Amino acid sequence: MTDATDREFTGPLERVDECCYRIPRSYKAGMRVDGLVFADERLLPHVRSDRAAEQVANVAFLPGIQGASLAMPDIHWGYGFCIGGVCATDPAAGGVVSPGGVGYDINCGVRLMRTNLVLADVQPLLVQLVNQLIRDVPVGVGQGGRHVFTPPELRQLMREGVEYLLHRGLATDDDRACTEAEGCIAEALPELVSDRALARGQDQCGTVGAGNHFIEVQVVDRVEDARAAAAFGLAPDQICVLIHSGSRGLGYQVCDDALRALRDAPAKYGIALPDRQLVCAPVESPEGRHYLGAMRAAANYAFCNRQLLMWQVREVFARVLGRPWETLGMELVYDVAHNIAKLEEHAVGDTRKPVCVHRKGATRAFPAGHHDVPERYRAIGQPVIIPGDMGRASWVLVGGPRSLERSFGTTCHGAGRCLSRTAATRAAKGRDIRSELARGGVIARSRSREGLAEEQPAAYKDVDVVVDVVHRAGLSTKVARLRPLGVIKG
Amino acid sequence: MHEVFEHTADLGLRVQAPSLEVLFAEAGVGLFEIIAGDVQQIRPRVARSFEVAGTDPVWLLLDWTTELLAAFGVEKMLFREFAVTVHATGLRGTARGEPYDPAIHTLAHEIKAVTQHELDVHRTAAGWEATLIVDI
Repeated sequence: MTDATDREFTGPLERVDECCYRIPRSYKAGMRVDGLVFADERLLPHVRSDRAAEQVANVAFLPGIQGASLAMPDIHWGYGFCIGGVCATDPAAGGVVSPGGVGYDINCGVRLMRTNLVLADVQPLLVQLVNQLIRDVPVGVGQGGRHVFTPPELRQLMREGVEYLLHRGLATDDDRACTEAEGCIAEALPELVSDRALARGQDQCGTVGAGNHFIEVQVVDRVEDARAAAAFGLAPDQICVLIHSGSRGLGYQVCDDALRALRDAPAKYGIALPDRQLVCAPVESPEGRHYLGAMRAAANYAFCNRQLLMWQVREVFARVLGRPWETLGMELVYDVAHNIAKLEEHAVGDTRKPVCVHRKGATRAFPAGHHDVPERYRAIGQPVIIPGDMGRASWVLVGGPRSLERSFGTTCHGAGRCLSRTAATRAAKGRDIRSELARGGVIARSRSREGLAEEQPAAYKDVDVVVDVVHRAGLSTKVARLRPLGVIKG
Repeated sequence: MHEVFEHTADLGLRVQAPSLEVLFAEAGVGLFEIIAGDVQQIRPRVARSFEVAGTDPVWLLLDWTTELLAAFGVEKMLFREFAVTVHATGLRGTARGEPYDPAIHTLAHEIKAVTQHELDVHRTAAGWEATLIVDI
């Protein structure tokens, strides 16, 4: 193991306001716009601690980029784009789409399910519940699921999204209505998804995976916005379940295939890039359209993955509590992507135009009144779900009044790592993370030793601080804080 | 030889070898060490052959390791031993191992992909060095 102390960012971070810092366009020849990092003084040392801010500057090289290369306060070092990065490009101005701006885990995202249970209902059964979850819900490296799809079935699933599962009796109308894009991004082209991607995805729809993915039983700890909480069906002491996963091997392969197909695109289109992983092609090019079509298909697979996971969680609750899940009020609050590229209309300067918004570890956060917010929430704004860490908290926010003007309708996606995986493993040496969590009231079960060590609470920034920044910046505002009770991980 | 180095959310792998062939073989060991923790638990019972086209060592490394990952992704193959021959138009590799069996193997990480971020292969005084970062 080697340390990476030479990897601190020493470039300029000029204070714009109490929640935003600028990397000026003059920092590097080739930057087309400034970089803007949403952070406050508490988070600034984290921003400087790795190469993430350099990556914000690198993204500013992309042709057609609009406004600024943005980063959310959960920013950390990624590959190509930083995690927490947002970049909007104008297709009409030669704007590009970059698979690295979405990531390998296409439509990695989160969904929150509420229940009509309170803490006292679940506390005596919590260990049994978490044990049953890890027995029944596939989690961890190499774990296939019980839903296996043939290639034609997979293509139909990717074309129809959650609607496909609705017809199979594995989703409800409300589930679909409360999923971003109603669980189906239009203009998906599943016929462009490779056979290898289909093979990798055949038994993984309805599996959690590993890394930072999880299923967590939580309790509403505090309500900050009673009106929004009521609209989202949330109240203090209520039990909820948070699910974090993405498009599994199918999505990784779609991204890999695209990166390979795009290898010659920068030369073909005369695009100079500071990092190979930023490889891209104009949105309005055969290569760009191909990627977007396949990416949307993988995104629809991811919506279905989280839907099947939620369905299995409902079955586990029903089994352990001895009642049908419908009587437990297990309803989806919302499902939202945090690794995606979407064509959306935004105001840039004085004009409104379609732009390709890349969100890489960043969450859409549309405010009240936006037509893409489900009708039931439109008067309040889009629910935003922010997983923190397994020891402290997660948050429900609502799309903020300033998100459209400041960040193309985007906010943070989590707490953001502050310790590398290797550093977290070193810090866990000689400790029993599972027992530590249990002493803090959290029942944790993991398929691997690494799962708990690398994902221990100390590996993450304090989500309360991250959320406080996006709240003060007006990107999304606080609705409710949730405290973890039980978690299963890979 | 190979070593895992720090990356905030993912893992990096640095490999050094006297020849390009050994470099690629060693990268295979490093990759499955990240996946399985200890490659000694993998028995070299089955062989798989891979052909990768290209002449640029950087793309060869990426495509070779990506092929190995795909074999795990599709067939759940875990590998332990690798032999690589580099020729004028690409490389030919053989990997030996066995399919993942939860009763026998303990896995450590799911590698989503080998990324192109800071991907590098270059000559050194002692031979070759490669750097790659994998998405966890």
